[in-house]
Amino acid sequence: MIDESSKESDFLFDMVRDRYGNRLSAEELEEVRKGVEGIVKAAEALRSVKLGNGTEPFSIFKPYRKGA
Amino acid sequence: MSPIGLAEVFLERLENLGPEYNAVVTITKERAMEQAERAEAEISEGNYRGPLHGIPYGAKDLLATSGGIPTTWGAAPFRNQTFDFDASVVAKLEEAGAVLASKLAMVEIAGGMGYRQPNASFTGPGKNPWNPNTWTGGSSSGSGAAVAAGLVPFAIGSETWGSILSPANNCGVTGLRPTYGRVSRFGAMALSWTLDKLGPLCLTADDCGLVLEAIAGPDPNDQTAADLEFTYDDGSKSPFKLAVLQGVLEGCGEAVKENFEDALKVLEGFATVEEIEFPDLPYEAVTRTILNAEAASAFDEFTEKGTAGELTAPECHYGPYARTAVLAKDYLKALRLRGVICRVVDEAMAPFDAVVAPSRRSPASPIDQEFRKIVPGTARDTMGAVGNGAGLPSISVPNGFTPGGCPRGSSSWGGPTRRTQ
Repeated sequence: MIDESSKESDFLFDMVRDRYGNRLSAEELEEVRKGVEGIVKAAEALRSVKLGNGTEPFSIFKPYRKGA
Repeated sequence: MSPIGLAEVFLERLENLGPEYNAVVTITKERAMEQAERAEAEISEGNYRGPLHGIPYGAKDLLATSGGIPTTWGAAPFRNQTFDFDASVVAKLEEAGAVLASKLAMVEIAGGMGYRQPNASFTGPGKNPWNPNTWTGGSSSGSGAAVAAGLVPFAIGSETWGSILSPANNCGVTGLRPTYGRVSRFGAMALSWTLDKLGPLCLTADDCGLVLEAIAGPDPNDQTAADLEFTYDDGSKSPFKLAVLQGVLEGCGEAVKENFEDALKVLEGFATVEEIEFPDLPYEAVTRTILNAEAASAFDEFTEKGTAGELTAPECHYGPYARTAVLAKDYLKALRLRGVICRVVDEAMAPFDAVVAPSRRSPASPIDQEFRKIVPGTARDTMGAVGNGAGLPSISVPNGFTPGGCPRGSSSWGGPTRRTQ
């Protein structure tokens, strides 16, 4: 049985391979696959934490006006 | 000794010893002598700018420099890259009277393409002056080696995740990672806009304080550069209150554990030391996801053109591709969680002056081995993830040697904008 994590990794890896695969060897593609699996694993860790609707991204954005 | 004499001494050392350690990319002799002559004239006229006036230094080769001096980012595809302006840090040091003597070697693209072993720069692997068969650490490899070998009195490095503390640890020097935003990033290669920091590597913490005072401050070219004055004060306020993160020694080698435990005994002579625990949050996933997403964007054109194939380390040839799969919603979730982490860590650290830990889990690894295989087990790097993800300052100071004679370091970090002492 294929779990959701594997399906997501496979889907994302296929996308990366379709886009860049022609410049990578089989061994390099296998390393990219491992990298994608790591990215999905990190994403799952993030998604496991529930946040309230009002919890905003912690980043700085200020409307810009030259000289103001 | 006069500024001209100082410049001549260090330029000679850079020329003669720099190649032994693969520490140098470009010796900026012409600019150094111009600045030294100016410093000598100003000082002789009684116009003394401060403690860095006439002092030579080296800059990690990701800091833009004008005048046709290459800025290579440590990477073969950029070996002829030049800029027509100086990075703000370089400009601020010029204002302080410091003398730019060299652009220093670094891991290609500041390690942003996923290197796993020391030979990941077009200038060769960074050789540790304490033992050239071991690695300097990275990605500020030349900055660490040049200070350790006395090629320059101080150097500027950068850290996105570990790139100042690692060479400070391996090379037996002091490395200061300032609070995010304390030092302008303008003119520095961007790997991850919300994680990149610039800071000094010196022989002592006092020297780091003096250099930070010169380079800190607001900059209209960097919206994140904090409008906060920084004045170095080496006055003590003993007894300090220190904390050790629970489980921080998990995955460390026995020698590192013993060394750190010995250091704690010394610290307990003038400080209280308590164990603290952070809430269970995915610290590494947050920082890693932010780094991956921002690096994918910063190097989008580089990735699309396949330029990675021209890098030195084989593993960097495919390094940028997996991260193109980071989803926007996951990046934003990481930025939302970053806020949560900043608040809980600030609360946990509030009663303390600093959190202390080994700078790295292992001392310098062999020059010809994959360092990711050297670290035993699957230990997490919570300190690195929290410190960089939350933008906290940290300083790594020398803390003894391995039985084989390689330096080890201990680091301490404080809350944002606090001095780490």
